[in-house]
Amino acid sequence: MGEVFLPGSLREVFDLLSGEPEALLYAGGTDLFVRSSLEEGGGKPLVCLERVEGLKGISDHGDEIRIGGCTTHSELIRSRLVREHFPLLMHAARRIGAPAVRNMGTIGGNICTASPAGDTLPPLYIFDAFVELCSAGRARRVPISEFITGPGQTALERGEVLSAICLKKDHGCTFFHFEKVGQRKAMAISVASFAFAAGINGDGMIRKARCAFGSVAPTVFTSSNIDRCFIDKPMDEDTLRQAALLVRSEVSPISDVRASEGYRRSVAGNLVMRLEDLVRDTG
Amino acid sequence: MTRKIFFVLNGISVHVETDPARRALDVLREDMGLTGTKEGCGRGECGGCSILVDGEVKLSCIMTAAQLEGKDIVTIEGVCGEGDLHPVQRSFIERGAVQCGFCTPGMVISSVAFLNANPSPAREEIREALSGNLCRCTGYQKIVDAVEDAAKKMHGGGRDG
Amino acid sequence: MKDEVRQFPGGPRLDALSKVTGREKYAADYYSGKFLWAGAKRALVPHARLASVHAEDALSLPGVVRVLTYRDIAGSNRTGIARNDQPVIADEKVRHAGDAVALVLAESREILRAALGRVSFDHEPLPGVFDAEDALKEGAPRVHEDNEKGNLLRAVTVRKGDAERALDESDVVVEGAFETSRQEHAYLETEAGWAFVDERGVLTVVASTQTPYRDRSEIARALGLDMEKVRVVAPYLGGAFGGKDGINVQCLLGLAALHSDGVPVKMWWDRTESFLAGMKRLPARMYYRLGAKMDGTFHGLSCRIYFDAGAYATLGGEVMAMGAEHAASVYRIANVSIDGYCSYTNNPIGGPFRGFGVPQVTFAMEQAVDMMAERLCMDPLEIRRRNVIRRGEKNCLGVELKYSTGIGECIERLMEHPFWKERQAWKSAAPKWKKRGIGMGCMGHAVGYPSLIPDQANTRLDLRSDGTICLYSGLPDLGQGNASTYLRIAAAILGQDPEAMELVQPDTDHDLPSGTSSASRTTYTFGNAVINAAQALRDVILGRAGTILDISDPGRAVLLPGKVRDEASGREVSLTVIARFLNDEERTQKGYFRAPYDESTIGIFYLGAHLLFSYGAHLARVEVDTVTGGIDVIDYVAVTDAGTVIDPVVYDQQVHGSVAQGIGLALTEDYLVSDGRHDTTGLSTYIIPTSMDLPDITSVPVETFEETGPFGMKGIGEVVISGCLPAISNAFHDACGMRITKSPLTPERVLSALARKGEVGK
Ligand SMILES: Cc1cc2nc3c(=O)[nH]c(=O)nc-3n(C[C@H](O)[C@H](O)[C@H](O)COP(=O)(O)OP(=O)(O)OC[C@H]3O[C@@H](n4cnc5c(N)ncnc54)[C@H](O)[C@@H]3O)c2cc1C
Ligand code: FES
Ligand code: FES
Repeated sequence: MGEVFLPGSLREVFDLLSGEPEALLYAGGTDLFVRSSLEEGGGKPLVCLERVEGLKGISDHGDEIRIGGCTTHSELIRSRLVREHFPLLMHAARRIGAPAVRNMGTIGGNICTASPAGDTLPPLYIFDAFVELCSAGRARRVPISEFITGPGQTALERGEVLSAICLKKDHGCTFFHFEKVGQRKAMAISVASFAFAAGINGDGMIRKARCAFGSVAPTVFTSSNIDRCFIDKPMDEDTLRQAALLVRSEVSPISDVRASEGYRRSVAGNLVMRLEDLVRDTG
Repeated sequence: MTRKIFFVLNGISVHVETDPARRALDVLREDMGLTGTKEGCGRGECGGCSILVDGEVKLSCIMTAAQLEGKDIVTIEGVCGEGDLHPVQRSFIERGAVQCGFCTPGMVISSVAFLNANPSPAREEIREALSGNLCRCTGYQKIVDAVEDAAKKMHGGGRDG
Repeated sequence: MKDEVRQFPGGPRLDALSKVTGREKYAADYYSGKFLWAGAKRALVPHARLASVHAEDALSLPGVVRVLTYRDIAGSNRTGIARNDQPVIADEKVRHAGDAVALVLAESREILRAALGRVSFDHEPLPGVFDAEDALKEGAPRVHEDNEKGNLLRAVTVRKGDAERALDESDVVVEGAFETSRQEHAYLETEAGWAFVDERGVLTVVASTQTPYRDRSEIARALGLDMEKVRVVAPYLGGAFGGKDGINVQCLLGLAALHSDGVPVKMWWDRTESFLAGMKRLPARMYYRLGAKMDGTFHGLSCRIYFDAGAYATLGGEVMAMGAEHAASVYRIANVSIDGYCSYTNNPIGGPFRGFGVPQVTFAMEQAVDMMAERLCMDPLEIRRRNVIRRGEKNCLGVELKYSTGIGECIERLMEHPFWKERQAWKSAAPKWKKRGIGMGCMGHAVGYPSLIPDQANTRLDLRSDGTICLYSGLPDLGQGNASTYLRIAAAILGQDPEAMELVQPDTDHDLPSGTSSASRTTYTFGNAVINAAQALRDVILGRAGTILDISDPGRAVLLPGKVRDEASGREVSLTVIARFLNDEERTQKGYFRAPYDESTIGIFYLGAHLLFSYGAHLARVEVDTVTGGIDVIDYVAVTDAGTVIDPVVYDQQVHGSVAQGIGLALTEDYLVSDGRHDTTGLSTYIIPTSMDLPDITSVPVETFEETGPFGMKGIGEVVISGCLPAISNAFHDACGMRITKSPLTPERVLSALARKGEVGK
């Protein structure tokens, strides 16, 4: 079996990565060690990010919130800043696994795993999050939708670490909705999930709407067609029925051991119908 | 490839010389002889291997031995004080929360951490707190009863001192 | 005996302390000094002719000690209960994906894992058969060439009256085809054990097993050893539910220990291997026709049931037969025709699972009963009450129910429950997007073995020379708490503090064969043996105390914790002193019990009929989400007749646990296999309920008094699980007006049913 490094700073991480190009990064290990057990790791050195200074925590940068790449889901849920500005992200994080998984699993790990079922991803797409990537020589910022390139695939380059997620506060939305369909109420991988944010005018007309779906396409599914069909309309059954139809026609799910393609397609549309509650309950 | 790993285990400073990529679970069970921490899945899916790391519940089956370094680790064997049972343990016994007992250590660990942070929880909150600890025997009802009862014991003014 | 009920002292389970502190040592917890890890290479192909196994690559890895194949086995290399058909290590053929093809011994767990990846084997794939009905068709690929009846493992028939004519005569006939899933036991403790050959040359196997005595003979036969040279020890189990009724690690471990050069060997299947190689509940397909008269009286029942045993017999045929015996659920029906078939396939191995064939048929019958009620515009509880079987009447086999039969009372109790009475109000208060429904299911479950199999138990109680009392258990404690109950029973009769007594877990060295820890018999049968032993020891102790204290009237002496006291004089003598005045033989008292049986039923049915049953009636309140198709069980009431409740905590534990597994079976649990390959691989794809998925369960005991049972009790371990599938399915029908006849009722099945009726999002 291999060596395990516990660097304390990003500099150390980069040194390790240049010395051990084969090394595998991990933060909480809740994806890496589940996909391939420790014995099957092939003896590659492991670099654990849990103690790296500066990769944890959530901070306010004026117009932007910055979430360290190794921030755990539990920390997201507890964060006042997240609750205040991005309640959707908090709701999504609360539906991940169970407490111990949330204590270990990180938002950076969720993003880098790039699973279409990653529960923090739909909210991050809705808020046009940027991921910050650092390597020895440089740092760059990439929109989340460009960073995730396919199921299990990202634009992360060798030697790079996802150091933070940046979210703009002025998203202009006041209505939020998240629903996850899993096979049970906890410890469930999403069979379909739906995140929604909207700004609604005083007269009840929708000014802005963003939808994102998990587990119904190779990556998180968003569509400007769908977002557009809410604009200047009230949040009523007609609007929602049209949106639902569009959703069912545009998503491209697969069948697997958890659910069939057909179920995912219809449920994705159905979830939109539930937005009716949103205005009734809050408006 | 081995190295020395230093940590605090159930209140005592210890070290172990081992391959750092082994599972923390195996180090605890095999090297430290603490077999109270159970393996039910090896993949983070059952909660049987739950331990406290600096007071937080973590799953030792998906943790490397290296990650024990410098940490304060509590296993089921260290939950109780000197000879005395933890109130959670007492409630588990009294409320019939134990059947085969294989999930019990993980359940107790999760409950202890949860009650430390939430002194007077609602039943639904208890259910959520234990949702990562699968139990195949009890249907959870008596476990939830026990945690409710333990909350009273711990924070309810020594009703059951 | 009735008097002693009142003396039965409850209290926390005596095994709870060691478990809650992590000190209890399970089969998986043995490590000591130098030992080796053993692990099996699994075939992963469902049906193949096996050629050669290649071990060189694995053996070249440092720390790999041995790679064994069937050639290293001196015995029959076959295990099995009803049929001797399962190889320890595959020889000619692989019959399911979980077959072992080689056994590796290595110095550590990590090396073992790596080595298993390096063992390979050559094989010629064979066409497989994966459906119980297909397996019986002409030309189906044969799983066991030596089985004369092709792939038919076992068939049973029941003919009572003339079912066909009765169906013709009926005013209403309902029919349906029902199908149930392959349920995985998913005990938290996967199969594990520890084995070594001791100084006497005896192979000792410590294993997580329900059946130590039967295992001993199976190990001996398969590995070619003398029975006397095999010892099996069963510590507390981390759950079993029927899934550890028979061989899993035992023979592989034994074989490993015979080749480990005297070093102990450990085997512990990981979850994937446990799923791959372990037993499952047999999936069933059932065709039912039920006929009734206009007044609701059931007149005829005809059914054909097909169970899928998978690759090996284990007790699959017996599970099917038990299903057939319970096919009419709890009703009096004059004309019955039942044809039951159990087939071999290349699917995962079927075997016992709490309920033993009864949950499957109850799913079918109890839905048919609701369908009938609907057709006749009758209240579903009323139609049940009208047809329910009472003591003294004959069941569907024609066997008279001579013992306690409280199903009528169970139904009546349910009728009084507010959830039943207020059902319309509750239903109409359904929130948006939800439909609410209330359903019920009734069930019976036989206690103990069928008449042909002697249902007997032996126990031993020792008064040790130091005055302590020790009870030798013959039946493992799977988690149900029987060990604790045994102690309490003995303590109650002996007037002792149960915590001061000791219980020795089953060990074949103690030579107390008592059958298996299964069939809802562990407390009923063994408890009776404990009573007999305790009464014998009590008599011996009191007799000798009488002599010591010089009491003329032995009735004056009473047993108190640690001593005997003469109530008249107040003089006392300690058990330690009494022990000194007894010889070894007197200090050891044995108890024996054999459950009632009726040889005359042997002609009627395979292995004879069961005579004694526990019963239950359930009510489920469910909410169906018309957006997602998800079903939530909001409330659950389980009324049970399992005789006297001697220990309310243990009783409710069984009720809660059974309902939890029953709700899982009804809603999510389906072990998926496609063409013999396992799609389900772990606890993230095999979905058992978490603490957030279950409601609080109301357990209502109906306490009949069973004269033959210890303190009036009968079995509570299994009966409850069979009510959940029907109660929830019927509740779904009540909510949505449609029926799902294939379980589990997944959101996907629900949503497509709703879609067919245009009810999505309503
Ligand atoms: C029982 C269980 C339940 C789960 N339930 C859910 C669920 O409900 N919803 C859900 O979305 N997920 C779930 N997961 C998956 C997982 O917990 C999450 O995806 C989690 O966010 C992963 O984070 P991690 O830090 O543990 O990732 P790790 O396993 O540490 O890493 C995953 C991958 O990301 C890379 N990586 C991690 N951090 C960085 C970084 N900062 N920079 C560069 N690369 C990095 C690693 O190299 C690795 O390839 C579950 C997992 C388990 C075991
Ligand atoms: S053994 Fe670690 S979660 Fe199951
Ligand atoms: S008590 Fe057996 S798994 Fe919980």
